[in-house]
Amino acid sequence: MSLKDKYAIVGIGYTPQGRLPGRTSLGFHLEACANAIADAGLKKDDIDGLICYRAFPGTADEGMVTPYLVAQRLGIAPTYMSQDANCSRSHIQHAIGALEAGFCNTVVISYGHNAASSDSMTRMLMEMHPDDAAFGNFGAAAGYALAARRAMHEFVTGPETWKHIAVGQRKWANLNPAAQMHSRPMSFENYRNSRPLIDPFTLFDACLTTDGGRAVVITSAQRARDLKHHPAYIMGIGQHNPSVEPSRSTFMAGPTGAKKASQAALRMADISLSDIDACEIYDCFTYTVEITLQDYGFFGPGEGKDWFQDGTIEPGGRMPVNTSGGLLSEAYFMGLTPLSEAAMQLMGRCERRQLGPTTGTKSPEIIIASDNGGILQTHTCTVLRR
Amino acid sequence: MEPRPLPNINSDNREFWSACREHRLQFQKCEACGHVRAPGSHLCHLCHARAAQWITSSGKGKVYSFVVYRVAFHPAFAAELPYVVAAVELEEGPHLLTNIVGCRPEDVTCEMAVEVAWKDVSNEVTLPLFRPA
Ligand SMILES: [Zn+2]
Repeated sequence: MSLKDKYAIVGIGYTPQGRLPGRTSLGFHLEACANAIADAGLKKDDIDGLICYRAFPGTADEGMVTPYLVAQRLGIAPTYMSQDANCSRSHIQHAIGALEAGFCNTVVISYGHNAASSDSMTRMLMEMHPDDAAFGNFGAAAGYALAARRAMHEFVTGPETWKHIAVGQRKWANLNPAAQMHSRPMSFENYRNSRPLIDPFTLFDACLTTDGGRAVVITSAQRARDLKHHPAYIMGIGQHNPSVEPSRSTFMAGPTGAKKASQAALRMADISLSDIDACEIYDCFTYTVEITLQDYGFFGPGEGKDWFQDGTIEPGGRMPVNTSGGLLSEAYFMGLTPLSEAAMQLMGRCERRQLGPTTGTKSPEIIIASDNGGILQTHTCTVLRR
Repeated sequence: MEPRPLPNINSDNREFWSACREHRLQFQKCEACGHVRAPGSHLCHLCHARAAQWITSSGKGKVYSFVVYRVAFHPAFAAELPYVVAAVELEEGPHLLTNIVGCRPEDVTCEMAVEVAWKDVSNEVTLPLFRPA
């Protein structure tokens, strides 16, 4: 029995986002969840599934945020609850699995983090590869930079390709008042002069850190019919986890998990790439967008340099990508930044950045969204439709 | 100055780090299928055989990929900027995360031939770094 179109995103919860010192991660989870529940037209007692995004280290003034705490403070007693301890990014699969099994009827997936104004994200990144620290290697940037450098050796890529991603996404952020980079335009010149980070990346190749939260509500298509918004149906979903840490990888330039994950998602959706109207791609770094779209099959290895030319992904472009500004220019909520934007676009709720006549692009029927964790070690691909 | 963080030594990798102290690079070789693996592990990920023999590497390899740190993420490395972190592919097969020393960062390339260069950092720990061969 196919799961195609059987479940849908029916509500999205936003919070203030940016640099908001003095707020707890738990508070952002709660605000995002409450807003998502209300956005769906539901009451808290309708929520019987709670899935929190990955656990982050506690800070000096706040312990670890667990789903128990989120449930307790939301005043719900779910019949299904989980949280990712790392970055396997299986949240939507968990939700669908629990719904399909009948363990619950309506799930909230939630993210909340005061990453910009606490040391929690830094702690997480410093603890990510403890045995590499002796060599001065910390966090995620170098791992993605190693992958990008190897790609530069194996095919044509580099800043001349990535500038189109950074600048194109910034143009979308300039249309999104909630985006952290809303009022900061970026030119190719700005990109070229960006501050050094870890070669081959500069600061503008890297995602933002954000204080804030995001949540989505998922339920059956049948229940969705009675709710407030036109739902965003989950047509297809696939995951692939090559798992190998970058320092040991012998296939660093790809294919990443994106390839098999997208094949599975498209097979379930029973569509081909040519049916996709827009992409919301997990963009921790510019290069992540390139390798994901390449592994999805939008272009061959190294052909991104041409594919991205002439504003392909920008407002008015033939394949809009990361239309909220993405993790690079909107806000960092892991896979919920791309996923929630895909749903909002399909619901037609994106105002000045709305795909269709407003931005001179195709009106979206089908959008593909990605999430990946580790250093290209895990990948989930989700196909949503109107 | 804040000291450099040191690796966690445990039952999977103690043999590796002990050999490093004696300036020998050692890897586990699966007795069933011959696969040479790093880091040390309870079993061979290709065939799941437990039996393995520690072999000594030639210490020669090539740069598989590398990055150049322009920003210090830890105070112990501020004075080292800019420095190179690389994944080196050893002749025996395994990849190691390491630093490339003994040349300018701009001279490092993928596939460049390198050889091990030992750096003693404490009584317990000697790091296998690499330099142009
Ligand atoms: Zn074996």
